[in-house]
Amino acid sequence: MLRTTDASVSYGDGAVFRDLSIEVGTGEVLAVIGPSGVGKTTLLRLLAVSLEPDDGTVALDGTDAWTVDATERLALRRRVGLVFQEANLFDASVARNVEYGLRVRRSWGDRIGSLLGRGVPDAVDEALDVVGLADETRRHADSLSGGEAQRVSFARALAYEPDALLLDEPTSDLDPRNTAVIEEAIGEARDRGIGVAVATHDMHQAERVADRVAVLLDDGITEIGPTADIFEDPTDERTRKFISGELVY
Amino acid sequence: MSVSLAATPELALALFDLPFRDGYVRSIILVSLYVSVTAVALSTLVSLPVAVVIGFADFPGKGFVKSVVNTGMGFPSVVVGLVVLFAVSNQGPLGSLELIFTREAMIMSQFVLATPPITAISLAAVDGVDDGVRDAARALGGTRLDAALVVVKEARYGIATAVLAGFGRAISEVGSVLIVGGNITSADGISKTRTLTTAIQLEARQGQYETALVLGAVLVALVLAVNAVVVRFGDRGAQG
Repeated sequence: MLRTTDASVSYGDGAVFRDLSIEVGTGEVLAVIGPSGVGKTTLLRLLAVSLEPDDGTVALDGTDAWTVDATERLALRRRVGLVFQEANLFDASVARNVEYGLRVRRSWGDRIGSLLGRGVPDAVDEALDVVGLADETRRHADSLSGGEAQRVSFARALAYEPDALLLDEPTSDLDPRNTAVIEEAIGEARDRGIGVAVATHDMHQAERVADRVAVLLDDGITEIGPTADIFEDPTDERTRKFISGELVY
Repeated sequence: MSVSLAATPELALALFDLPFRDGYVRSIILVSLYVSVTAVALSTLVSLPVAVVIGFADFPGKGFVKSVVNTGMGFPSVVVGLVVLFAVSNQGPLGSLELIFTREAMIMSQFVLATPPITAISLAAVDGVDDGVRDAARALGGTRLDAALVVVKEARYGIATAVLAGFGRAISEVGSVLIVGGNITSADGISKTRTLTTAIQLEARQGQYETALVLGAVLVALVLAVNAVVVRFGDRGAQG
């Protein structure tokens, strides 16, 4: 279980959020909804152990990532996958991109050895199969469409079987078909027992894919709970207004 | 009629009446390549890590450091040659190594001249890599070193251009290698520290214009070959 407790983050003099607590459970999909600029990306970076909070903790299965040494923190970070809004693929083939996470986890000896006469690892094929690109291993990243690139980016994080997968607006630039593929892949990740957090401003998507929804507004999380409860019977007035579109940013 | 391959150079000399001794040009080309390739290889070993460290690190005065590196591209070669000459002369700090008028001293001066352009162009290439690529490498579990290697790989065409630009500067250089190398040949006319550029300068001064022109053609051919490789790398980089 990935959890942040009473976390505060600020850039310069401006606080992004204060005393924020949230958890991503095993085998669940948590959608974090909120308007642009409210701190969804910062929250995901915090959960991904890429950003140290000013206060509070970030813990994976009870181990605080920022009180352990750098080696242990790297090990924790490697149990979490983070997919950005942009695909950010490397200048290499699809297979080499998806294999990257596996490769950096190997020893240097194995890495050098693997340069000579190796095939595509099964985990790469399996991850690409989840996003419907199993036949595209040899294609160069530059030849992919935006939707395909984002699907490869998803597969790249899935290939090393993280305990938690964090997705930052993964379909904001995609057409309906590629969006559907990504949403199916999110379900597949959940079925594998991976805890998934999806930051999105698309409330319909949150309703489709999430088991729980957290509403992040200017002053932090206003409400968190089962998806149906949040969308059908929100208890917080600001949540209700945001979901109904009355609260405009 | 059959012609022995072994007799081809002599035949060429006879047919075209080439204005220099057998082995002279070849030895000059070999000295030029040896000095320039060695200097550029050493420069690359220094420049690339420096460019990556400057590109990755965020520190006060980073802009100033970049300015210094860029300024280094305009170092007057004769001044570099003079400084290296002082360093390797008998009274200099490296005098005990007896490097004066040797290829090693020429390598030193070309190293000083090639390092700034290789560093500056490599740094620009590293800076040009999208931050998202570095973020992705880290997010996928890479260490700082892993992320640096990814950035170097992404910047490889720019770095190759930097190395080849450094080679272009080294092979075309005349002032400093003339000062520290001395433009020397052995008694049989084979080059010891004579390079294409210094040989052209000498032959032209002595009125041996045909020899100077042939040497110039060889130098231009070498530089063109290097530029062709640069363009090829650039095209491949643009195509991804």
